[in-house]
Amino acid sequence: MTTTTFFLFLIPVLGIILLLVNLILSPHNPYQEKDSAFECGFHSFLGQNRTQFSISFFIFALLFLLFDLEILLIYPYVVSAYTNGIYGLLIMIVFFLVLTLGFAFELGKNALKIESRQVFNFNIKS
Amino acid sequence: MISIISIIEGLLLIVPALLSVAFVTIAERKTMASMQRRLGPNAVGYYGLLQAFADALKLLLKEYVAPTQANIILFFIGPMITLIFSLLGYLVVPFDSGIFVSDYSLGMLYMLAVSSLSTYGSLRSTAQLISYELILSSVIILIILLTGNLNIITIVESQRIVDFILPLFPLFIIFFIGSIAETNRAPFDLAEAESELVSGFMTEHSASVFVFFFLAEYASIILICILNSILFFGGYLCIIPVEFIIDILYNIFGINSSILEDIFVNISSSPLNLAFKTALLIFVFI
Repeated sequence: MTTTTFFLFLIPVLGIILLLVNLILSPHNPYQEKDSAFECGFHSFLGQNRTQFSISFFIFALLFLLFDLEILLIYPYVVSAYTNGIYGLLIMIVFFLVLTLGFAFELGKNALKIESRQVFNFNIKS
Repeated sequence: MISIISIIEGLLLIVPALLSVAFVTIAERKTMASMQRRLGPNAVGYYGLLQAFADALKLLLKEYVAPTQANIILFFIGPMITLIFSLLGYLVVPFDSGIFVSDYSLGMLYMLAVSSLSTYGSLRSTAQLISYELILSSVIILIILLTGNLNIITIVESQRIVDFILPLFPLFIIFFIGSIAETNRAPFDLAEAESELVSGFMTEHSASVFVFFFLAEYASIILICILNSILFFGGYLCIIPVEFIIDILYNIFGINSSILEDIFVNISSSPLNLAFKTALLIFVFI
């Protein structure tokens, strides 16, 4: 077993030991008020903290993740940029073009528009 | 078989990391106190130096509170994942020429993967992370384009002539802002907005679960400062222009003692260089 693998084991073990020390040594006497969700001033309502959120936020996050992956896909090209030359660059440009077209398509479809219930302009009523 | 050397190496890597995390927390509290004309922690140890250990011990003996509506397993595993991944990043850091635990040829990719996993939180935190991760990785791409290698040691060695901060100064600014946002520091702390939310996603965590979050946050700050100094300030390379000084001593003052040269060479190639650069960056973060 090399140092690297040992290190990969050591850190989770460290975390588990810390957690166990706490679970064993500390007192634990919960009651209902202590275990309820933290909120100032009033009793919290049950099930309030599992609210739904709009799917368009999720789509936004997904888009960011997609472009992150895109950058990771560029890494192999970047490492071998000196040997690949113009051919590799062309392939990269085609790759970018496909992604950009996809993004433009998504923008054009209004898929990224977050619906808002706020009325911005009070003079014009739709 | 686990050899004794690998155990010692692992401990040698992880114990100073945890110690530095402890002292960074004290440093932050001290500086914040002096900004607000308070004394800050000054009771435990000399000048309050042992405050962090006292805090950690106290928090380990505290009661843990698990909210009734939480997924208990996720509630305990989340902070542990955070801590584990922020500590795993120290594996590939080269401390000096020849002093490193592992010499991955894909070290930079490993670093990216670990640092992107190491932060977790609620919706806010996730949103911030995903967006700033993009900036970090696209800056690293340009540095790798210059070095042509993913190995961290090669990246450091390719800065022997000039540190990357000189030709890539705008990139350094971008990377620095991105790394501040990545670690949820002051201008970008919307995951842990202290003025509006009480403590953000850490509100309901107590005792050792909170310790995990705390350690993980500061460990990732130190790690990203080390990453900054590796990528832009030349990592463990020397700050003082040794050959220049020796030349001046020889040509102007006529001193040519090999002992002096030895001393200078020893100073110039020590992990203290990396430590100094990282410490400066951490101070800027605070």
